[in-house]
Amino acid sequence: MKIFRTLFFVTVIFITAVNISFGQNSTLKINFEHYANGKKIVLSDSSYNNIFGEQYFIKKLRYYVSNLKVNGQAFTEDSLNYHLIDLAKSTSIKLPLTAGKYNKLVFMLGVDSSRNCSGIQQGALDPAKDMFWTWNTGYVVFKLEGTSSSSNADRNRIEHHVGGYRFGNNISQFITFNIGEVVLKPDSISEITINVNLDRYWDSVNTIRISEDPICTLPGTLAKKIAANFPAMFTVKPE
Amino acid sequence: MLQIFLQCLQLNPSKFISIKLFTTILFTFLFVFLCSLAIQKPTPLPLQIPKGWPKPPSDIFKNNKPTVEGFALGRQLFYDGNLSSDGNISCESCHQQFASFATFDHDLSHGVNNTFSTRNAPALFNLAWMEGYHWDGGINHIEVQPVHPFTSPNEMGETIENVLAKLNSNAEYRSMFKAAFGDEEATSERLMKSLAQFTGSIVSSNSKYDKVMRGEDEFNNIEKKGYELFKQNCSSCHKEPLFTDNSYRNNGMPLNRFNDVGRMLVTGRSSDSLKFKVPSLRNIQVSYPYMHDGSIFSVPQVVDHYLGLSFENNPFIDTVFKRKIELTPRQKNELIYFLYALTDSTLLKDERFGPPKRIF
Ligand code: HEC
Ligand code: HEC
Repeated sequence: MKIFRTLFFVTVIFITAVNISFGQNSTLKINFEHYANGKKIVLSDSSYNNIFGEQYFIKKLRYYVSNLKVNGQAFTEDSLNYHLIDLAKSTSIKLPLTAGKYNKLVFMLGVDSSRNCSGIQQGALDPAKDMFWTWNTGYVVFKLEGTSSSSNADRNRIEHHVGGYRFGNNISQFITFNIGEVVLKPDSISEITINVNLDRYWDSVNTIRISEDPICTLPGTLAKKIAANFPAMFTVKPE
Repeated sequence: MLQIFLQCLQLNPSKFISIKLFTTILFTFLFVFLCSLAIQKPTPLPLQIPKGWPKPPSDIFKNNKPTVEGFALGRQLFYDGNLSSDGNISCESCHQQFASFATFDHDLSHGVNNTFSTRNAPALFNLAWMEGYHWDGGINHIEVQPVHPFTSPNEMGETIENVLAKLNSNAEYRSMFKAAFGDEEATSERLMKSLAQFTGSIVSSNSKYDKVMRGEDEFNNIEKKGYELFKQNCSSCHKEPLFTDNSYRNNGMPLNRFNDVGRMLVTGRSSDSLKFKVPSLRNIQVSYPYMHDGSIFSVPQVVDHYLGLSFENNPFIDTVFKRKIELTPRQKNELIYFLYALTDSTLLKDERFGPPKRIF
């Protein structure tokens, strides 16, 4: 009978061991650093100027990063696939990855349309994260809230809730980065840093003036105009 | 269970008369073990599609198969005013069973802190056959609908985090979450899914009209004439047997004081101005007042609207109304009698959908 008992325990240990060691053993950490006027962004207290000389304060800065791929390698698990970058909470992503050399990073700034219309979602996509339109279903992809004396909206607010997934209004987009050569050693962590330059938010493909567009809370023309500036904001920090 | 199993492992096999007996005992244990697993699992409660009805256009329960336990939890939540910020407003405050889950006798409904909704609370039934929720179809899935009433300042005025905190600090709710989802923790996902199981399971299919269609009853003469008039004038939008074709139409309701342009709010297209979801006409006898803003108070007045009384011609009016609807006073009555034959008194009293025994 002893044999059964031993076998039982051996199996338990084996299964646990496999679960721990199976798959990835190294970690790639992606940090997002946010700048305006060449300074690191501080929420609420510091003011910044856009290229039109409009002074503004930032209270909230949040956006979705999803569908990450490193050298074509995708992550299917939700918790690895959907991330909310929130300046007030978390500005980095950790991905388990097998050791090796990597030079390309792709992610979607946005949320797949299927996630916008297949019911309640969990994790980063939990509607409790306050990135969800409750009366016109869909995710806000990029949220910038603050104040500016140039804003003619109620209490000088800036309220940019940029999103849209329906055909014609979709603003989710892929952004590709060359990350040089990142060598990931077994059982270790490598980091890369992505600079997010808010100066380009107001001025790159399109010009966005606070005096003209302090509020954007709907998918549509203005949201698409703002979203066209997103790719220029993101660059890999040179080593 | 595990203890017995381990005790069994500790026994010396030499004490057994034969290996056969040993295997028999082992299999008995296995059988009992599997049975206990089966007992712990929630009991399925699939949606019943009434005979002769079309299949739902999409499966609202695709990732959320209703179970007895999930439905019971959804019902408990639906009737619980503690989930609102001032402790007074439950889903049921605005969706009352005796009014087929509309707000009885109110054009607009009361939210927390003496606020009012800006639209009329629709009746809730046959939601599994719908393709969009709310008057403008802005909500694309039944599971995400409750996020709106929970968080709207003029409905329940709460945050999802607070609602979950209230539920997680309540032992009775925790055990209901465990029974429904195998885990005690209340999460947004489980909260919304259980509510969807409850509201999505409400089916209205037992009116006199349904009995006539099933051959169990007969229309009287007036209803029979009314049915014909209905088919001539109304059924292109209010399509049988659900009495809606799930489309968004402009039926001549004027722009109200909230500047509510309806479907255009969702699509941004001016051609969708003043289009609203075609509501079902089942149970309208009890779900007054009518239309997206509750501005018409009685069924005869609704018919008068279609006859031209409050009808406002605007550029995007539905083409159906190019041909003017004309009814004699007698025909008007016949049509109304038919509409009253759509009342499903079974649903209005069905205990499965009524208040739970106790609010926690
Ligand atoms: C303050 C009143 C109020 C409360 C409380 C309320 N509702 Fe509603 N409900 C409404 C109104 C008004 C609408 C229509 C909204 C619109 O069209 O914009 C509605 C619409 C709905 C719909 C869509 C029906 C359809 O035909 O499209 C569902 C489902 C629903 N409510 C379920 C709920 C649930 C579940 C709760 C509780 C979590 C709840 N409601 C709480 C007033 C309320
Ligand atoms: C072109 C499509 C169309 C036709 C034809 C039509 N309706 Fe409607 N009906 C609607 C729409 C859309 C609404 C909702 C309008 C709103 O909320 O402003 C509505 C609302 C109603 C309501 C209110 C239901 C509620 O719960 O608030 C009743 C009752 C009604 N219609 C009865 C009729 C009758 C009776 C006829 C035939 C004489 C008819 N309808 C013909 C589209 C139509």
